[in-house]
Amino acid sequence: MKSSLNMASILINAIKRLHLSPQIRLCSLNSAAVTTTTANKTINILKKEWEFPPLYTKPREVWIENLDTVEEKKLGLIELHPMVYAAPPRIDIIHSNVIWQRKYRWVSWAHTKTRAEVRGGGKKPWPQKGLGRARHGSIRSPLFRGGGVAHGPRSGKSHFFMLPFHLRLHGLTTTLSAKLAQDDLHIVKDLELPTDESQYLVDLIENRNWGPAVLIIDDTDYAPRNITAATDNLLHVNIMPVYGLNVYSMLKHDTLVLTQAAAEKIEEKLLYHLHSDNRERMKKFKIDQV
Amino acid sequence: MSWLTSRILSVVWKPTVNVVRTRYHADKKRLVRRYGYQEKIWRGGLLPRSEGKALPIPEYRPDNPWSVRKALFGQNDYIDILGPGNLHPVKTLYNIPSWIRGVSGHEYHILLRKKKMWAKTGTPRLRPTKWKEIQKRLSFLYRKLNRKTKTGPSPI
Repeated sequence: MKSSLNMASILINAIKRLHLSPQIRLCSLNSAAVTTTTANKTINILKKEWEFPPLYTKPREVWIENLDTVEEKKLGLIELHPMVYAAPPRIDIIHSNVIWQRKYRWVSWAHTKTRAEVRGGGKKPWPQKGLGRARHGSIRSPLFRGGGVAHGPRSGKSHFFMLPFHLRLHGLTTTLSAKLAQDDLHIVKDLELPTDESQYLVDLIENRNWGPAVLIIDDTDYAPRNITAATDNLLHVNIMPVYGLNVYSMLKHDTLVLTQAAAEKIEEKLLYHLHSDNRERMKKFKIDQV
Repeated sequence: MSWLTSRILSVVWKPTVNVVRTRYHADKKRLVRRYGYQEKIWRGGLLPRSEGKALPIPEYRPDNPWSVRKALFGQNDYIDILGPGNLHPVKTLYNIPSWIRGVSGHEYHILLRKKKMWAKTGTPRLRPTKWKEIQKRLSFLYRKLNRKTKTGPSPI
């Protein structure tokens, strides 16, 4: 009896120490949408419906900004899942991903002719014995000037390989987390610009201290006309859809700007893959099974 | 007797001695040391050059890191994760010849695959020399890999 009471108290103490603060904090918001007015501004704070609720880490809160004016205006606050946007920084995984992206599509076209392929050289140049010269069988052997190369590069050398699925998945999460942790990730409501001039974007980037190169990720393949016209002349500001996101581009561009829908879509896709059975995808790559 | 007189004279009267210089420092010449030695170091200034066209030095033209190809490098590499899921990034390699797409291997493997894919086309009839070269190279590589070289270390 006494031992069972002791066990119960130990268990209760352990549960108290668990700090279930994220869920408690979320539960404390009484309504689904809370609107607070400060002077002339309204900030919308929405409670998020988590498909895979964050259990062990607090979700990251990010401001939603606007692109309508050059100056920054905060339109709201959004919570991002920690498994995607607060993953531990793994520089080795980022490195592997960058190397994979650079190498897997590279085919080396360096080519040299062997002694069989060089034109000529079928005849024995001089008799074997009697002349006092070195013995040779053809004038295109690698020993000769103008002869073939013995172990030279051969055309069409492929450096293709596939990185394991989980390494690519965690490459994405680590890079996104690194961008958020280093203040290089900005969430934007939508991509509506007031003008289609490139100078507007240049002023905006200058005003907000975003890096010179900006990668804008949108939810869909098509973007509003103004922003496409503005970024046409700026080579260092690029727009991509969600499926075009990759580690190399995220590292090449200093700032990453996601629309709210794009951020949520990325989160949804990555969380799905992080929580599903990936054994089929983890198997060795076979060209006829892709 | 003469020594006595000179001795007495030297005590009584000493003549004034004037030093007359006949050899001066400015007339001193370098002494020839190591006679017969010829120094091989060029002490004459710039090396002799030929007039006319100099060797061409190419003008430095730095490449643009933000050209379209470089700025969007790596796009769609994660399309099987972030896209609908039915497309593998290997299928997006449009600019690579079809026999190399998604293949990693030795020269022999790739050449064999190329030959199998070209056998179905008109290449054997239209490019006989090239076809013969491929056959020759395959035979050479087969003999070399299977008879003359060892395979890699066995997995332990």
